[in-house]
Amino acid sequence: MSTLLDLLPFADMSRLELGFWSFAVLLGLIFLRAPIGLAMLLCGFGGWYFAMNGNPTPLLSKLKSETYTTFSSYSLSIIPLFLLMGQFATLSGMSTSLFKAAESFLGHRRGGVAMAAVGACAGFGAICGSSLATAATMGKVALPELRRYGYSGGFSTATLAAGGTLGILIPPSVILVIYAIITEQNIAKLFLAAFIPGILAALGYILTISIYVRLFPGSAGTRPAVPMAERWKALGNTWPVLAIFGLVVGGIYAGWFTPTEGSAIGAAGTGLVAWMSGNLKWPAFKESLLGTGKTTAMIFFIVLGAGFYNGFLALSGVPQYLADYVLELGLSPWMVLAIILTFYLIFGCVMDSLSMILLTVPIFFPVISAMDFGMSAEHVAIWFGILVLIVVEVGLITPPVGMNLFIINAMDRETRITETYKAVMFFVGSDIVRVIILVAFPAITLFLIP
Amino acid sequence: MHQFNRTLARITAMIGGLVLIAIVVLTTLSIIGRSLNKFMHSDVATSTLGGFAQWVIDLGVGEINGSYELLEAGVAFSIFAFFPICQLYNAHATVDVFTSGLSPRALRVLRAFWEVVLSITILFISWRLYEGMQRYVGNGETTLFLQMPVWWSYAASFAAACVACVTAIYCAVMRVTEAATGRRYLPEA
Repeated sequence: MSTLLDLLPFADMSRLELGFWSFAVLLGLIFLRAPIGLAMLLCGFGGWYFAMNGNPTPLLSKLKSETYTTFSSYSLSIIPLFLLMGQFATLSGMSTSLFKAAESFLGHRRGGVAMAAVGACAGFGAICGSSLATAATMGKVALPELRRYGYSGGFSTATLAAGGTLGILIPPSVILVIYAIITEQNIAKLFLAAFIPGILAALGYILTISIYVRLFPGSAGTRPAVPMAERWKALGNTWPVLAIFGLVVGGIYAGWFTPTEGSAIGAAGTGLVAWMSGNLKWPAFKESLLGTGKTTAMIFFIVLGAGFYNGFLALSGVPQYLADYVLELGLSPWMVLAIILTFYLIFGCVMDSLSMILLTVPIFFPVISAMDFGMSAEHVAIWFGILVLIVVEVGLITPPVGMNLFIINAMDRETRITETYKAVMFFVGSDIVRVIILVAFPAITLFLIP
Repeated sequence: MHQFNRTLARITAMIGGLVLIAIVVLTTLSIIGRSLNKFMHSDVATSTLGGFAQWVIDLGVGEINGSYELLEAGVAFSIFAFFPICQLYNAHATVDVFTSGLSPRALRVLRAFWEVVLSITILFISWRLYEGMQRYVGNGETTLFLQMPVWWSYAASFAAACVACVTAIYCAVMRVTEAATGRRYLPEA
């Protein structure tokens, strides 16, 4: 059987060549603005077709069940449930109580309101697994306050954009779930491992703020201190955050329930708080379902495409070939790691974190696994996962297409995006320093992991 | 026409969302039941609560039978039901940097092209899903706990996929029209 497709040069290639070429084609399609999931799906289809020497039957029969099994996967169903949890969290009013509590403790310091915004972002990250949602929610609460106390526009927006990335770093985290599934790691352990680096990130941002306000004293105003009794009262109001976080992450870790069940409990918990706060009226409820729906379909389309494409890639032998090749080069494992992380930092400037993880982890993970870092395989996998998570998240705040920057900047009409770009570079710097520290001292990430 | 498609996509997504809520409630109840059951079986409960613990157990408090199966089937349906709204509101992820320099006209043509390819792909996937369902229709294969025919959950997903096809065709036609006329018809994300 000869078709038009056989006229393409791919028909005569070995599977390995095909694998490499498919990657080039895939990037070409993505850069030509094809929806990323579609591009992966098309390259996956093409790859299977040519790898089977132009016989479409294996592909067609694979497609009969693969869509349904991907969408009905028990472990993947954690994603829509965490997204729903995040949507309810934005309506729960907890962002306001977190910010008030942090502000009452920190607000009177130099740059204190900005520090409070970072602290509140960290707290909100504990009940929300998405960076964009964290940035958008905290932006609504904290941006007007920052401006009111005389914080400069670019500094305020940059602080919130950076703080937003804590949403995904501090567990629960949607990206970490995806990483766990691709690399077949334990989600509970990954969540636990992300905890300390998440706290470090918040502390790093607070330090950055205190340096920034000393370099640019005009960028922050002052406000009077809040009496001690009021501070503790404000802190007490944040108890639902602690309760939900403790129940979900603690319960998953203690083995009371599976991660998927934990995400359902989290959605129920934030939903209940949102309902009791009176914010969960019908229109808001409807919007949170539709919002969950859009993001869920977007993510699962990419997951489906990546499943097909990575299946083909594994068949082509490219990941194994690359791993062997890098091993033969005899580079130091640390060098290889540095190259990979730099690649993510650069690529993160143009691509979203989820697509990047789905596209590259199946290729890089075998390479990293083949290296000897003097740790157990599981520890390397967890440590690498946290590092990758951090470097892809930096992409959310690097110009030109950091999504968090756009979201926050759009909330403040007086601030030009270039001002945000300038101020955010300080936070990017803090991120890079943190990555170097975590690379140099794997124990920071791993000491909680048995 | 626009109104019909928008309403169809939104209602389908709402149904998907409500199914998701139902899953959340079901799973939460199931875990509460399981924890209660475990607690009533514990030594502490039997010694302090005695007959009451046995009474609770006899009531049948425990894990909801087949909640895993319902979760899997429900989530699959929800995801298919979310596709129309995702495409209609242009919410699929893309990389825009390299094409941002194109003229508005060229960009409209490019978007129309990918929209058509996307729509064909969705039709293709739905057709294969239908074929996948056919394997289970009438072969008597059921799920483990609820004895629910496997094809039922395929059928639910296929019904949602049909709506996704309608929306996909609508979006493709509208994007091509947008490219031809330069007017705006579809909502932005």
